[in-house]
Formats: sequence, structure tokens, C-alpha cells
Amino acid sequence: MLLSYDRLGGLRFGLWAITIAICLFLLLPVLFIAALSFGSSQWLVFPPPAWTWRWYGELFADPRWLAAAWTSLKVGALVTICSVVLGLLASFALVRGKFPGRLWLKALFLTPMVLPVVVFAVALYALFLRIGLSGTLIGFVIAHTILAFPFAVISITNALETFDKSIEDAAILCGASPWLAKWKVTLPAIRLGLFSAALFSFLISWDEVVVAIFMASPTLQTLPVRIWGALRQDLTPVIAAASTILVVLTLILMAVAGLVRKVFAK
Amino acid sequence: MTDSFLTISGFRKTFGSIVAVEDVSLNIPKGEFLTFLGPSGSGKSTTLYAVAGFDDPSAGDISIDGRSILATPPHKRNIGMVFQRYTLFPHLPVGENIAFPLRVRGHSAADIAKTVKAMLSLVRLEGFEDRLPAQLSGGQQQRVALARALAYDPPVLLMDEPLSALDKKLREEIQVEIRRIHQETGVTILYVTHDQEEALRLSDRIAVFNHGRIEQVGSGEDLYARPATRFVAGFIGDSNFLKVREVERRGSAASAILPDGTRIENIPAHAGNGHAATPELMVRPQSLKFVQGSGAGLAVKVKDVTFLGDTSSVLLETGWGQEIWLRGAGSAVKTNALSGPLHVEWNPADSHLFC
Ligand SMILES: Nc1ncnc2c1ncn2[C@@H]1O[C@H](COP(=O)(O)OP(=O)(O)O)[C@@H](O)[C@H]1O
Ligand SMILES: [Mg+2]
Repeated sequence: MLLSYDRLGGLRFGLWAITIAICLFLLLPVLFIAALSFGSSQWLVFPPPAWTWRWYGELFADPRWLAAAWTSLKVGALVTICSVVLGLLASFALVRGKFPGRLWLKALFLTPMVLPVVVFAVALYALFLRIGLSGTLIGFVIAHTILAFPFAVISITNALETFDKSIEDAAILCGASPWLAKWKVTLPAIRLGLFSAALFSFLISWDEVVVAIFMASPTLQTLPVRIWGALRQDLTPVIAAASTILVVLTLILMAVAGLVRKVFAK
Repeated sequence: MTDSFLTISGFRKTFGSIVAVEDVSLNIPKGEFLTFLGPSGSGKSTTLYAVAGFDDPSAGDISIDGRSILATPPHKRNIGMVFQRYTLFPHLPVGENIAFPLRVRGHSAADIAKTVKAMLSLVRLEGFEDRLPAQLSGGQQQRVALARALAYDPPVLLMDEPLSALDKKLREEIQVEIRRIHQETGVTILYVTHDQEEALRLSDRIAVFNHGRIEQVGSGEDLYARPATRFVAGFIGDSNFLKVREVERRGSAASAILPDGTRIENIPAHAGNGHAATPELMVRPQSLKFVQGSGAGLAVKVKDVTFLGDTSSVLLETGWGQEIWLRGAGSAVKTNALSGPLHVEWNPADSHLFC
């Protein structure tokens, strides 16, 4: 290699500095919020004068926060199921199908990834108002499923493309009907892709805020929407506590995912 | 043939405008080991897949025991198959892979355990039940695939180049195993390969495929000694194809005059010259002998000698400038005797005229 790390000389320290700066930029806000959520100051003074669990106590005592968390979990779970099931069906069509316009269809499936999310949110809001889905759980699930679907399609088509169809054929010759062969052989073989699709789908719904703001009603809010709403009313450390919980749950999910992947890889 | 068990008649398969198989008919008696041999793209796999049921024929019929199987979907045909690629179910251990066809058929647990054991011992992999496919070598995976395909005692076993991904030594080892398993089980085997040595080693009969047709069906010896077409003569064993100036046919024999005027009588003559426009005389390098003394035979010059241990190969040039090979025992081809103009001859009955 012409541009080798060892030959960079003094420039290496420059690279190190940039790397550290980027890491700090990514980590500091999160750490900052976490620290504030344990700070005793009502006015979010930093560094906190003393440490306390008080804001977490207030958070868990407030039914509005609990309802928001429950909504988030419910929407996330339903979105995960819908997006994986639809993604699986779409992937079979895209990978195995031999119809004209296959690539166009794939491009269409991926548009929610690149479409400006505000545009998408406004359009969906207008539509849902008309058909009475705005402010409903179903509306939430449909909206987030559309956002999560492209990621499910990508994960599952990748898995399906690397899966040799001859293995499914072998199962069929062994006496399994085409459906049974898919259920007993193909799905278990691509389970890592299905798992990634589920994880992505849940996380996308879990921390999505723009579309959720449009979908929400005063009685139906997800956690990010509730944080956003609370922020505009008053600045309290309870928000920091809620944000910290959001981050911690995400981290736990990622850790579990890493573990599952390690076990699968064996 | 009355004893045909698996019958393919007038099978034709097209993919759009591509003709994969022109016209294939075969009668395969029960228990036979028949190999499809031919170059890549000649329609071997397409024919095999039609028997398996993955592709419907464009024309023709396939029957087992006198009953057409075309209306039966592949999972109900009860046919075993080993594929070119590794097709063990990656998430199941070896034992469960072999048990899979039995579980699908609803066999009892005791029966499954017994059969899995018997199959593992048939392919000499006792004690491998709990390994995952990824922990096996390529050769072991194909042996498990063979065990899985035989577990439900199918009347017909299909094998599509199952050894092509393995190295030569391992390939020969497993060929011996396949031969033994065929003898022990008596299953009817259709085997696909493009490797003539493999075909000769394994098969009772070989069907030579070319451009979507069968050029000839016969035992290895038949194909080698009595090739029906120029393609078979060139595909099985080594061969020289001499140019011919004139042919006089008399029934199944003919006389040929070579470009330098040499006249050869009583050569078996065949019509199958494929695409070549001019007649050709085929003679194996082993059939050629140097003539002691002078006069008779075909005048040649020696261009090169290659020592090959047991034998030597000699590159010769004929009077009209064509290069041909002679192969003989090392002692019969003494290098010091190979100078100046020489003559070679052969038994005309061992050569073939394709016109
Ligand atoms: N699904 C298919 N679509 C189009 N052409 C095909 C298909 N399968 C096979 N062919 C063509 O049919 C011919 C025979 O193929 P195949 O039976 O696989 O040959 P072989 O197994 O002897 O190498 C080839 O020219 C191949 O390109
Ligand atoms: Mg093939």
C-alpha cells in the first residue's frame, strides 16, 4: 500500500486527535444527559451539586410517562412483526422471482429510506386524517412499518441471496412439501438475517420521532414524542432520566444482539 | 427393452429460445449404475432435474416401473438426490440431516434412530451424529448427503457431479465407496459427470451427451473399442484423427486412402462424423506400432519423445504434415532407434472411419 499507516510519521498524531474528537462528540452528549439525570439540581446545573435517584422516582410515578413507554413497546413489537413478515415475503419475490421490473420493485421498496422523513410524515398525516387512522395505534404501526420495511428487505434479501437454493431443493426431494421445506430448512438457515431485520425494525420504531409526532394524539404518544412534548413545556431532569432509559434499553438490545450473533456464528 | 425400470422417452427441454435438451431416450433396468457423461452444457443436469421433477419436460415422458411420474410433484416422487454443491441443512447436526426425510414421512423415533445408525455405518461415518455440517470436510459432507438420500430407501438415486468440488485423491476414495454402496443397496443410480475416468470407474453403462443429445450408450469398453460417432471417439480415451483423401464404403467396412496415398483396407466405418465435413480415420495412440524393416505402413518422422514411466509417448509427423501420437511400452520405443524415416502400422479393425 502506498498510503500505509506506519509511514505517515507525525500525521499519525493528527489522525489520532481526529478519532478521539469524533468519539467524544458522539459520546459526550449521551454521558452528559445521563449525568444530569442523576444530578440533584432542578435547573440541570452541571456539574451536579449532588447525586440523586429522585427524577427516576418521579418518572416512574407519572402515568403519562409509563403510558408512553408502554405505547413505544407495543408499537415497536407490532412493527417488528409486520416488517419482518412483509420483508420476508418481499425478499422471496425479489430473490427467487423471475418477473420483469424486479429491480424497479426493489428500488421502490427502498424509497422510504431516502425519502425526506418530514415529507413522508406530512403526506401520511394528510392521508390518515382522511381515512381516520391518525392518532390510532394502527396508524402508528403502519407508519413505522413503512419506515422499517426497507431495512428488513435489505437484511433478508442478503441472507436469502447467500442461501443456496439447492439446499431447499434437497429438502423437497427428501419428501418435504415446498412450504414445509421453507419452514423447516430455509427459515432456520437464514435466521440471522431475520433476526437482524427484527432488531433494525424495532430500533427504527423505538427511537423514531418525526413521523411519530404527526401520528400521535394527546392520549397516544410514544416515548420520544413524550420527551419532545415535555421539553417544550418545561425543562426538568425527568426528561434526562427518560432519555437515559431510552438509551440504556437500546444498548441492552444491541448487546443481546451481539451475543445472539456470536452464538449463531458457532 | 422389457426390463426397463426407469424410462425416459423423447425428453426435450427448452428454456425460451435455448434448447437445453434436444431429444433424449433411455431405458434403464433396475439396479443399474448409468452415468451421463459429456461436456459442460450438454444437457446432463437438465435431464437429471427432469427426473427429479424440478423442471417439467417441454416434450416426452419419464416413467418408473411403467407409470409416468410427470404428474407427481418432486416431494412425492420418493427419489434420492446428491447435488453438486453441498446441500446439508446447515442448522441441523448430521444425525438430524439423515433423519429429516424419515421425520417428514412420520416414521417412529425407534425406526429413525435405527436407520440413522445404519446409514452412518453405510457411509462409514459412525459417531458423527452430533457434528454440524460446517464441522465436516467436503468429502464427509457429500457422504452424509448420500446417507440422507438413501435413508428412505428410494428406488432411484440421482447424483449430479457430487465429487467435482473434491480433490483427485479424495474423489477416487469416495468413488470406491459409491461403487460399494451401489452393490450393497442395489439402488438404481443415475450419475452425472464430465470426467471420463470417473464414468469408466463407476458405471455399468455410460450415456455420452453432446449438444442436448445422447451420442451413444454402452459399457465403458463398448464406447472405447467401438465408438459410434466421432465425438465419442474423441471424448473417451486418447485418439488420433487422420485426414482421409478417399473412401470406398462396402457395407459397415471401408477402405481409406490417406493424403500420401497409403491405402488401408477393412476399417469399421460409421456415419456419425458430427460437424466435420471431411471423413476422418480414428486410431488410438496405443494401437500404433513401428514397423520393423521398411516398406509397409505409414511413413512418419519423429518430432518428440516423452518418457512417462511405464510408457512413452512419441509425437510423429506424417508425410502431409499432420501430427499424431504413438504410445508404447518404454522398451518398445527405444529412443536411439527413432532416427531417420520410419513407418507405423496398426490393425485396421482397431481403427474407425467416420464419414
Ligand atoms: N434455467 C435455465 N435457463 C436457461 N438456460 C438453461 C437453464 N438451465 C440450463 N440451461 C442451458 O441448457 C444447457 C444445458 O445445461 P445443463 O443441463 O446444465 O448442462 P450440463 O449439466 O450438461 O453441464 C446449457 O446451455 C444451459 O445454459
Ligand atoms: Mg451440470
